Amino acid sequence: MNSANMQSSSFLSHFWQYLLAFILIASVTAVFFTLRNILDTTLIALLYLVPLGIITALWGLGPGITSALITFLTLNYFFIEPHYTFVVHRPADIVILAVFLMVAVVISQLMGRAQAGLAAATAREREATRLYELSTALTGLNHDQAIAQILAKQIHAVAESECVELTGTGAHSFAYRLPETSKPTRPPELIVPIQAARGVLGEIRLWRAAPAISSSERQLFQTFASQGALALERAWLAQAESRARVLEESDQLKSALLSSVSHELRTPLSTIKAAASSLREKEVSWDSPARDDLIAAIDDEADHLNMLVGNLLDMSRIESGALKPKREWNILSEIVGGVLARMKNLSTTHQLEFDVPESLPLVPVDYVQMEQVFTNLISNSLKYAPTDTVVCIRARVEAESVHVQVSNQGPQVPSEHLERIFDKFYRVTAADRVTGTGLGLSICKGIIEAHGGRIWAENVPDGLAFNFTVPLTWDGASPPQFSIEPE
Amino acid sequence: MSNAPHILVIDDEPQILRAMRTILTEKQFRVTVANRGEEGLALAAANEPDLIILDLGLPDLDGVEVCTRLREWTQIPIIVLSVRDSERDKVAALDRGADDYLTKPFGIEELLARVRVALRHSARTQGTQSKVVKAGPLTIDLAWHTVKRGEEDVKLTGTEYKLLAYLAANHGRVLTHQGILTRVWGEADADHTEYLRVYIRQLRKKLEADPERPQYILTEPGIGYRFIADE
Repeated sequence: MNSANMQSSSFLSHFWQYLLAFILIASVTAVFFTLRNILDTTLIALLYLVPLGIITALWGLGPGITSALITFLTLNYFFIEPHYTFVVHRPADIVILAVFLMVAVVISQLMGRAQAGLAAATAREREATRLYELSTALTGLNHDQAIAQILAKQIHAVAESECVELTGTGAHSFAYRLPETSKPTRPPELIVPIQAARGVLGEIRLWRAAPAISSSERQLFQTFASQGALALERAWLAQAESRARVLEESDQLKSALLSSVSHELRTPLSTIKAAASSLREKEVSWDSPARDDLIAAIDDEADHLNMLVGNLLDMSRIESGALKPKREWNILSEIVGGVLARMKNLSTTHQLEFDVPESLPLVPVDYVQMEQVFTNLISNSLKYAPTDTVVCIRARVEAESVHVQVSNQGPQVPSEHLERIFDKFYRVTAADRVTGTGLGLSICKGIIEAHGGRIWAENVPDGLAFNFTVPLTWDGASPPQFSIEPE
Repeated sequence: MSNAPHILVIDDEPQILRAMRTILTEKQFRVTVANRGEEGLALAAANEPDLIILDLGLPDLDGVEVCTRLREWTQIPIIVLSVRDSERDKVAALDRGADDYLTKPFGIEELLARVRVALRHSARTQGTQSKVVKAGPLTIDLAWHTVKRGEEDVKLTGTEYKLLAYLAANHGRVLTHQGILTRVWGEADADHTEYLRVYIRQLRKKLEADPERPQYILTEPGIGYRFIADE
């Protein structure tokens, strides 16, 4: 239907070209006719070359030659004596006519050829542009399906086809069709294999009944196919490389983990071992105050060990994607309150500012995981901030989220490290000074992201602030609001 | 010595059994141990202990299953032991009739406190229940439905009182979200933890000195709530 339209429109434009050429010649002739007595026949013949040139330049060889012949006849009929006949008496007029015809035809041909050359150059340029567009669109794509989509779209646009379908074979499982809804029942007019060095990766099927697919188009689509093949090949290599990199990284991670873990676990174990064995050896008398210290050390270090193991478990759960928040509508201040109640040392070493408004809506979070986030952020603040400084916990509603800030008056972090402090095993300061696996903040990140939120750190005028947001909506539902019954 | 409460410990780890036996015997309890679920069930039926301490991670039987089977015939208090991050199992065991839980590793004073509460509670359900619960300045009279803070009457809504009364009557024990919701709001609202959160906040505001750091109505993360009364 489309191509039928196109054909008729091109026919129409041809018709118009001839008609316009004819009208031009006719009007020029009319002008010359009125000036017939002033102008010399030779001059008129010469002047006729101007519209001829214009016609050929504008509309090509066909209208050009036709106009040349018409002009030849007009010249003879209207301007060469005897007028209004095609008879020629003077030999000089015969020469004029002959020369005119020759020159007119030659001009037409020359101009026409130049124009055809120009058209071919334009077509080549357009083809090059399309290829360029295709290869630009394909750069950086790493998924077969995305590549197939781009390729199909480009071919569909260039070919003005009824339907284009791309299917993959073997390891390449892409399938894409344009338009997506339906495809013709007849076999495709053109099938181009997507051929790469590794073999055939798939094929392109194209439906276009009319106009028939020309050999230059066929060639163009083959070029498209090989561009597609290159892109698929590149994507395949990139995937293979990233798999290799992930493996290598997880290997590195494991060794980092092992070395960090064995160091961290051994420290409390050494303390416990030393304390327990000295108590056993009765080196320390039963009523000595040292005995209480040793027992307290065993107790504290056992807690410390327990926390380390917990962190490792959390991390492995986050890494394996097994950390699924069990969401419930919770009251943020209850969660923070529980954490603070458990951090008994907090009030003796630091001052606390607690600014969580009563009006804060319920937040859809996992209570236990959120406790973990607050525990880690607060204990991180306590670890780095000097004693007697202020640790501040603040929460506000912002747009569709709740924004929580835990800030301290500890040392600032160079801005280039601010992102990386949430990485596993990442420490800004020398590792020996502060204990811990370096997992606390990355666990926070894992939990917050599992809740669909965002976490970041920033330097504030007098210290460092951890920020995070969690969405207030849960499966599209806003926080429930209900009024307490009257007393 | 024969009057001493008899405790059955079911756990598959020998070190834990050894430590529990030593500590509990030291505290004047009689102790029997089992390292398999089936063995534990058999010993419970044969000895009728006063309390069972049950590890949820047994090799032969699911701890929750052991709970269910014990509750088919006895109301002996059960304290379940489990590792961190197994809130789901703990809640399941509590909802199937376990009385309390402890997360490994635990301090011995914690264990003894739980044991005392569980034994006292079972004595209470068998004998006459005390009608007045005291917690610091709070006096909750379950017979007269009155709540006092010092000398002052505390005004509570119907639901608030129902909630507080349930918590106070079970003071010392952990109560699960679902258990409380079913009891106070009814089966249909058993999943609406947000009701509970909001009402607990209301109660704390009326009863606690510092509602953000409660002393009497404690949150058990991921499990439920516990009311702490005077001993």
